[in-house]
Amino acid sequence: MNPLCPAKVGLLATAALLLSLVPVTAADTYQPACFVPAPNAKTIQTEAKPGPCRIALVNGFVGNDWRINMIQAAKAWAAIPENKAELKEFKIISVGNDVAAQISALDNLIGAGYDGIVLNAVNATSFGPIVKRAKRAGVALVAFDNVLDTDEIVQVNEDQFQLGEIKAKDVVERLAGKANPKVLEVRGLPGNSVDRDNHDGMRSVLDKVPGIQVTEVVGNWDTGTVQKVVADVLATQGQFDAVVCQHGCAGVVRALIDAKMPMIPIAGDAENGTRIIMAQQGVKGLSAAQAPAMSAVTLQALIAQLKGEPMPSLVSLAIPAIKTEELKDGVNYWTSLPNTFYAATSFPACGIDFTADQIMSQTPDNT
Amino acid sequence: MVATEISPARRSRPPLSLPPGAWRLALPLVVLAVLFAVLIAIHPRGLAVASMTPWANQAVTLAFVAVGQFFVVVTRGLDLSIGAVLALSNALASELVSGTPVEIAVGVVAVLAVGCLCGAINGAAVVFGRIQPIVATLATGAIYTGLALIVRPTPGGDVDEALSDMLTYETFGFFPTSLILLFAVVYLVWWPLSRTVLGRSLYAIGSNESAAFMSGLNPKRARLLAHVLAGFFAACGGLFLAFQTLSGDASVGFSYTLNSIAAVVIGGASLAGGVGTVIGVIAGAYLLRTISTIMIFTGLPPMAQPLFEGLVLLAAVSVGAIEMITSRNKLKVLR
Repeated sequence: MNPLCPAKVGLLATAALLLSLVPVTAADTYQPACFVPAPNAKTIQTEAKPGPCRIALVNGFVGNDWRINMIQAAKAWAAIPENKAELKEFKIISVGNDVAAQISALDNLIGAGYDGIVLNAVNATSFGPIVKRAKRAGVALVAFDNVLDTDEIVQVNEDQFQLGEIKAKDVVERLAGKANPKVLEVRGLPGNSVDRDNHDGMRSVLDKVPGIQVTEVVGNWDTGTVQKVVADVLATQGQFDAVVCQHGCAGVVRALIDAKMPMIPIAGDAENGTRIIMAQQGVKGLSAAQAPAMSAVTLQALIAQLKGEPMPSLVSLAIPAIKTEELKDGVNYWTSLPNTFYAATSFPACGIDFTADQIMSQTPDNT
Repeated sequence: MVATEISPARRSRPPLSLPPGAWRLALPLVVLAVLFAVLIAIHPRGLAVASMTPWANQAVTLAFVAVGQFFVVVTRGLDLSIGAVLALSNALASELVSGTPVEIAVGVVAVLAVGCLCGAINGAAVVFGRIQPIVATLATGAIYTGLALIVRPTPGGDVDEALSDMLTYETFGFFPTSLILLFAVVYLVWWPLSRTVLGRSLYAIGSNESAAFMSGLNPKRARLLAHVLAGFFAACGGLFLAFQTLSGDASVGFSYTLNSIAAVVIGGASLAGGVGTVIGVIAGAYLLRTISTIMIFTGLPPMAQPLFEGLVLLAAVSVGAIEMITSRNKLKVLR
């Protein structure tokens, strides 16, 4: 028996009965300002479990800055005293890119009687059986970032179409009715669904501007590549009026500096390096991104579900975006930190606002 | 004269010691038993259905692939396409193994047949094309990966859920069905084969091909058989992975090729061919996967996983070198 979360003792036998889907309208979900229900999201409500509970975060790949910041943010969240009080145990596991290993880790945690698990999945399709087994065992499973092809569980993500949209909107605003503007679009990794959605979002705004001329270059989400392709396009096509960029946007600013061209409005990513160079050069624009701190929001969603709150099956987070006029060293970017640090660390609607110290003081290791 | 020169060493062996080569089987089994005990000790559930079924399931795919790899290794070859065959069968399974019971049965047979065919193509390239196994399978592996991507460009598909539940849960409510499946398939295929001349000639040609040939064995046929077996067991692995994930993914194969070689070596087989056992290889596969489960519950850094696997592999290879050091006649080892 499980002494850590006593309510589970009697509940295991009737676990399947506990997970009942209650049909309520989306407006009825918990904290809709933070956990914004995506269009067509179902509402998921499970019976409350008295805390403190045992939860786990299961991650796949861990070898890049986004994933490392994501795990650090999760740990930073768990270190906040009021969150700490909700947790009996918080385990973090990164398993690498192997589907079988991630399934095994999840099975082990479900088997070990954890109350809830948050998951950044290796792929979107292989976890059907896990969703079923978690449900059978009465374990709350919440997926984020790489969401699964299911509406049976609560999932948390940023809408990538919307991310493209808000970047393009900012740039269009700053162009302020300029006739026949020339805009440069820096795309991401070709063939990727995130690149496609970002692009579609940007174009949904840009294409409505009369007389606009958009030039596309492919930057592979990599600062070095972005700098090279932007330098090339500046050399061949001359000046642009604005740039919308998916990721690696420090490269745009550097290319402009190298070409000795004046700074133009740029809507780009939220890496520390991008914000530093944007602030230094006085670039007007927007900094927004898929923020690794969403792991913290996901943990918050898991706790809400464990408390029996009604949750949407897909949360579309308000995208953390700030205008470059609001950039301030030590507040939303840090000249003392590496360029690769993800400077978008807050989801104000969810009450999450980490300082860089809070995140950087955590390790990316398993616990 | 020659015979009497070798026999004194044999006679001087103490009566209670293991027969020569027994450590090759005993060592992986003992290490696995120790790791299993550690896992039970640190697992929050201890020895229970909830901990045993995931443990059994997670290594079945690798065990199948490793057994397949073993048959090639024992003939002194190496199959670098085995992960690709696994991926191809996994992709095919996600297209074929669903619908009515008849459709499912036909689907399973078709997937296994494609696996055997892939193996036969490898074998033909090695035997008739006279290409080195490493080179031949490197090339065919790329072809199979390409085919898998054509069958399933993005992960997904549909696999029969009832059959999946049957194979990934427990028999009699406590014994992991996947383990029964693994041992049943391996036993039903290898046991009858190991009683035949053809089956035994797998070891013989790996041990000393010219001697085997001069003793009237058929190395070509044995080598072909080894590759077909590799294809068959890789397809079994691909099928099981499909049951585990209820979907197919053309990109799953990569890690399995190298891990299968690791499992074979850890399981006591020699890459020089001719020695090793199927049971040892299965133990090798479980050993690798048990390490990763232990790491989950001890909270060791994820980056250290390959390090630990590498250390185990190095230890396994080093133990193999003891034979060389202790042997009186070094030529025997070097051949």
